[in-house]
Amino acid sequence: MTNPISYISSCLFVLVAHAAMLANIFINGNYDSVSDPIKVAAAVGLLDLAYFITVRLFDQTSYAVDLALILILNMGVIFQSSFGGVHFSGNALKHYITAIVSLISCRVAFLICRKYKWLQQKKMYIYIAIGICAVIILTLTGSRSMWISIGSMSIQPSELMKPLFILACATSVSEQQNKHKILFFNVAYENIILFGIMMGICLLQWWCRDLGSLPTFMGIYICGYLLRVCYPKTKFSKKTYIAGGSLLGIAAIIALRFAPSYVQDRLHADIWSDKNGNGYQQSQALIGIANGGWTGKGPGYGSLCNVFAHDNDIVFATVCEEWGLLYALMMIFAIIIMMAIPLIIPPRSYFHGTMAAGVCAAFTVQMSLNIFGSCNLIPFTGVTIPFISSGGTSMLVSGLMAGMLAASLSPSFEEAVPKKVRKPAKNTRRRSA
Amino acid sequence: MKSIKRCQHIISLFLVLFIAGMVVLVVKIQREASFYMMNSDNRVLGNVYDRKGAILYDGSLKEGEQKYPDGQFIDVGNLIGDDKGQMENTLVAKNLEKLNNYSFSEGLVQNGGKAAIYTTLDHKANKAVYNAFQGNDGCAVAYNYKTGEILVCTSLPSLDVTKGYANIGNFSDGTLISKNMCGTVPGSTQKVSTVLSALEIMGADKLMSKSFTCTGKYTNKSGAAIDCHELYGHGTLNIQQAIEKSCNPFFAQLVEDPDLDFSKLKDKYEDLGYALNGDDMDYIDINGIKCEKASTTLTDPTDFQTQWGCMGQGDTLVSPIQLMMWQSAIANGTGKATMPYLISKVTDVKGNVSEKASTKYSGSMFSSGTAQTMKQMLLTNGANNYSYLIYNHSVGVKSGTAQVDDGKNENSLLVGFCDDPDLPVAFCILIENTNITYMKTEYIAQVLLDNLAADLND
Repeated sequence: MTNPISYISSCLFVLVAHAAMLANIFINGNYDSVSDPIKVAAAVGLLDLAYFITVRLFDQTSYAVDLALILILNMGVIFQSSFGGVHFSGNALKHYITAIVSLISCRVAFLICRKYKWLQQKKMYIYIAIGICAVIILTLTGSRSMWISIGSMSIQPSELMKPLFILACATSVSEQQNKHKILFFNVAYENIILFGIMMGICLLQWWCRDLGSLPTFMGIYICGYLLRVCYPKTKFSKKTYIAGGSLLGIAAIIALRFAPSYVQDRLHADIWSDKNGNGYQQSQALIGIANGGWTGKGPGYGSLCNVFAHDNDIVFATVCEEWGLLYALMMIFAIIIMMAIPLIIPPRSYFHGTMAAGVCAAFTVQMSLNIFGSCNLIPFTGVTIPFISSGGTSMLVSGLMAGMLAASLSPSFEEAVPKKVRKPAKNTRRRSA
Repeated sequence: MKSIKRCQHIISLFLVLFIAGMVVLVVKIQREASFYMMNSDNRVLGNVYDRKGAILYDGSLKEGEQKYPDGQFIDVGNLIGDDKGQMENTLVAKNLEKLNNYSFSEGLVQNGGKAAIYTTLDHKANKAVYNAFQGNDGCAVAYNYKTGEILVCTSLPSLDVTKGYANIGNFSDGTLISKNMCGTVPGSTQKVSTVLSALEIMGADKLMSKSFTCTGKYTNKSGAAIDCHELYGHGTLNIQQAIEKSCNPFFAQLVEDPDLDFSKLKDKYEDLGYALNGDDMDYIDINGIKCEKASTTLTDPTDFQTQWGCMGQGDTLVSPIQLMMWQSAIANGTGKATMPYLISKVTDVKGNVSEKASTKYSGSMFSSGTAQTMKQMLLTNGANNYSYLIYNHSVGVKSGTAQVDDGKNENSLLVGFCDDPDLPVAFCILIENTNITYMKTEYIAQVLLDNLAADLND
């Protein structure tokens, strides 16, 4: 991918893909003035070019993730600009800005996470950062909320814990060889800490009623657990398997048994008999998908834009309605391709592999919850599709995780700079004496 | 490198699971998209036709549009229904998805969609039967007991769905339901079930040899009085005479008879489809339309309520369709009812046949021997007592008078079948409040059979 020709041809592919979508808006879109789609096209084109140039400033083994990211992000921008009529103001402009934030956060995460040994040394700060997030949630969001409002902005601190939790899984994976006997089990302290963090997050999510994110954390944890099982020379006893599996099973049963009433309602909801109540969003989403068919009603011609959370929780259906199921599947395919890049370009270490798998777990679980939930295959939770759904925190965190994915393919194995050892002044004096 | 492969396997695992979920989702959307659209406010419905292509419901008709003569569809108003949501147990309401001029690839077809339901109904005969009621409340249903096609199904009072529901406050009770689907007190038509059960338990010879005396009133073993409609009694009767005279004291004594094992009687009633003593009632499904099955109370053979139930009074309820189905099991001579259906075929938005009906049968309710004996009894009754009332047709029938509204009103019922290979029709006719009307069920039966004979042989 470092070959300039292949890089340019990949960039051209991204540009052509966006141009095709923009052409669809011009030809089939619903807009008041031609200036509206032109603004969208200009914004998308500028962002494409700016990122193509910027990303080359970073020395990477592969740019595949970055190109997939800009492809998906601008697809999201085009989709969001067309909902309910083509425009480039309000929510569309906000989404564009968050897309830029996402690209920046991707670069930041790349720079931080590519340095495996440095990150390994700073592991304690990851735990501290998770702790700070937890304290913020406990003190600032309140027990029935997951948001902190700052002026017109809202931040969801629990989202920030996702990349931190992936890092915690990745940085602790090599430590698990150091086993200690506790009761009947040989366990590694790192595994206990990680399990403790997971349980803490569960309780915290429960407390602030953000149960939609819980499966994402569970997905990351299960991924981390499996990678511990697969770790080279790992000696996991049957007892450990049984204990781990049983604990997870018991936790799931307890969670379902004592889930709050609003969760129980969603678990047992018949959306069609309650299509104006609890099942409103899902029933409207499915009607929207049916209305759109394979090729959609045309960008801007949908009616789902009148439904609450049409641009995040049920964004898949909104895309289906206006652009058609084929486009929506292509959008999902692009995200799958991004996640599948580590299968083609292998990560360079087990740490980076764990990080890539953690990101993949988080994205797939989030997409499953959003798409299958809004389409009534599973209970509706209200999480976002990475890079496509609107939402500042979601875009920021998705960008961070994309950066982690990029870092796993282009790692740096520089030795961490050793701390300077200050020589005792006494000795110096003695020598000089 | 091997360890990195493990990471890749985990990534693959998550991706494969997700892709599998997406495949399931796309298949689900493909299969259910039409259903989703039916729950939308934005839908384009096709038409419903009768067996000869006459229109019964026009899905393209706009609110208040005058396209058809007044009362064109009134005879099927509460059976075919519409999509307005006022009537839920109708053919259109239960089959909206089939009428939907929509497909996932074509989308909504505003004009020229060919989604349609072709019913088995004979609109001409149905209208004639509706008119024969002359405004009296009641219902009539008839079907081909060989194939299961419902030919006539009308219920009064009814409504013209093209007129909308602005006047709904002035609708008479029962306008919005097809009474053929609802449980009603069956009166002496219930005695057919009692005789069928007795034939099964005792055997034909033993039952034929039984005789009981009617003096006009019978005091049963628990001391309750069972009155006969014949004030001075029928004298000593055998089972054939008891059926023809519809003698209540005979049937009270039959139920008490030690040869009629009571536990077996309950079993046989359950085989016929009765819900006994407050058990959950089941439904017969007719192309999605729910039709109530039978229910009664059978607690003790000497109990008044039980004996009264075996004669079709008290809390016994049977829908006219269920009564008609028992007649089909008798007329077929098999003990298995032919399952009735209304939809002969369905076409999709492109006009392709997407569904076609086939004949189905119930489980065995009684033996073929019992069916044939019962058939002969009913044909004898038809020949002896109805040949001058229903002429030109060889019918096996049983009439009934049901006391309703705590005995203040009476309903007349007639169940039967036509023993003619060219007119294999079983029917049930109900006229309400016959204590205040001169209308007779036999007249309706005559109109019904004459019209069907003419139309089916066209």
